[in-house]
Amino acid sequence: MKTARTLPALAVWLARSLPVALASGALLLLMLLTFTDVMLRSTINAPIQFAADLTRLLMAIVVFSAMPLLSYQGNQISVDLLDGIFARLRIRRLVEITVALFCGVMLVWPALRVFDLAKRSQSYGDRMEYLKLPVHYVEWFIAAMTLVTALALLWRAVMLIVAPHHLEGRHG
Amino acid sequence: MVEGIIGFAAVLALVLLRVPIAFAMGFVGMVGYMFETSFRGAISMVARLIIDTSQDYGLSVVPLFILMGLFVNKGGISRELYAASNAFLGHFKGGLAMATIVACGGFAAISGSSLATAATMSKVAMPEMRRYGYDDRLSTASIAAGGTLGILIPPSVILVIYGLLTETSIGKLFIAGIVPGFLGILFYLFAVRYSVMRRPEAGPAGPRSGWSERFAALRGVWAVLLLFFLVIGGLYGALDFWPLNLAFSPTEAAGMGAMGAFLIALARRRLSLRDTIDVLVETSMTTASLFAVLIGAWVFSNFVNYAGLPEALRGRSKAISFIPGWS
Repeated sequence: MKTARTLPALAVWLARSLPVALASGALLLLMLLTFTDVMLRSTINAPIQFAADLTRLLMAIVVFSAMPLLSYQGNQISVDLLDGIFARLRIRRLVEITVALFCGVMLVWPALRVFDLAKRSQSYGDRMEYLKLPVHYVEWFIAAMTLVTALALLWRAVMLIVAPHHLEGRHG
Repeated sequence: MVEGIIGFAAVLALVLLRVPIAFAMGFVGMVGYMFETSFRGAISMVARLIIDTSQDYGLSVVPLFILMGLFVNKGGISRELYAASNAFLGHFKGGLAMATIVACGGFAAISGSSLATAATMSKVAMPEMRRYGYDDRLSTASIAAGGTLGILIPPSVILVIYGLLTETSIGKLFIAGIVPGFLGILFYLFAVRYSVMRRPEAGPAGPRSGWSERFAALRGVWAVLLLFFLVIGGLYGALDFWPLNLAFSPTEAAGMGAMGAFLIALARRRLSLRDTIDVLVETSMTTASLFAVLIGAWVFSNFVNYAGLPEALRGRSKAISFIPGWS
């Protein structure tokens, strides 16, 4: 991690680290929660009532906080069998740009639809069974992060065109 | 049925063109579903799956098992496993390669991934085998073969995902992996013996360890064994007696495993704050990539089911009787 000197650099650094920190924190909490729940249940027969609700909430946070950066870095699971051929034909970057554009564009519609579904949950006023947290909070979060993932993929395509060295060594 | 087959072909083509597997399946599933129903219906189906999959309680087993494997790895347990199996097997011809196989089996018992098993063991075992002049072909082959034990011996992330996708009991799948896993170890050991029998120079024998050294080496791995029995025993209700009363669901087993591995690594002072953060970040990223694939797979399977491919295939295979008089 480089020290951020300018404001834009600080913004980029935050955009990268904040979601990752959120995902890591949620994951750590998930581990502690499961452990505590089992311990309380087996020793004093007092399980945490809202453990299942909280688990589901934390899962959504882990998965969707990590998704944009994962996609931006091109680390989604893919098959690289033909990479040699692409490299020989000198179209490797072209292929990567097309793939990023394709994925980003196709994700926009479902992402917008997730917003609709979240709005619908909000109008129904559904709440989690034990945690009593309104369901639409999580759904808004998922909707926003899905859209951010789509934008991250499009941004990846742009970066691959204008500044490919920024992304080099990051595709796995 | 034709639509389903075209769908499979399209997914394969996209995947070969380097489209991430999740997006290839999701795209083909979405477009196919659109042709079968409507644009709105297809988009809604995908959106619903995006929301529901990430909040599936059963799926929380995935990140927790990954976390357990990574913590164990940071705790330096792979090195100790290798040292222990080496103390017992190292003096045989091809002994280091055999020790690699056994250590892979041990590592597989706490890690659910073949890739992680192979990657970890190559870091630990490869330099050692090079030092004793082992043929690279024998050493790499034994690591690669040993790595396959990762998904076979429980816990196994792949079996968990398979179980969740097909609604098969994860506990039963894990049990089903144990015997093939041990058979795998056994036959890989025979394979090493066979290759050093043919070319003895490929795997020279190392020095013999005394019994005191052997027991000292075993002391390093007892924690791993304990963790394995806690996780797998709890999962099968083998520990459900007073005063333990430990019976886990797969998610709880994974959570206990992750916490146990975390504590072991902490107790050995092998885990800095930096390491802990690295492990958490890596697990989150891996989890997100697996969930993307899961969502894509569910979208695609919704389309394939809608197109009636499974039914058609079942009908076909019923219509053909492969053996006369048996159908």
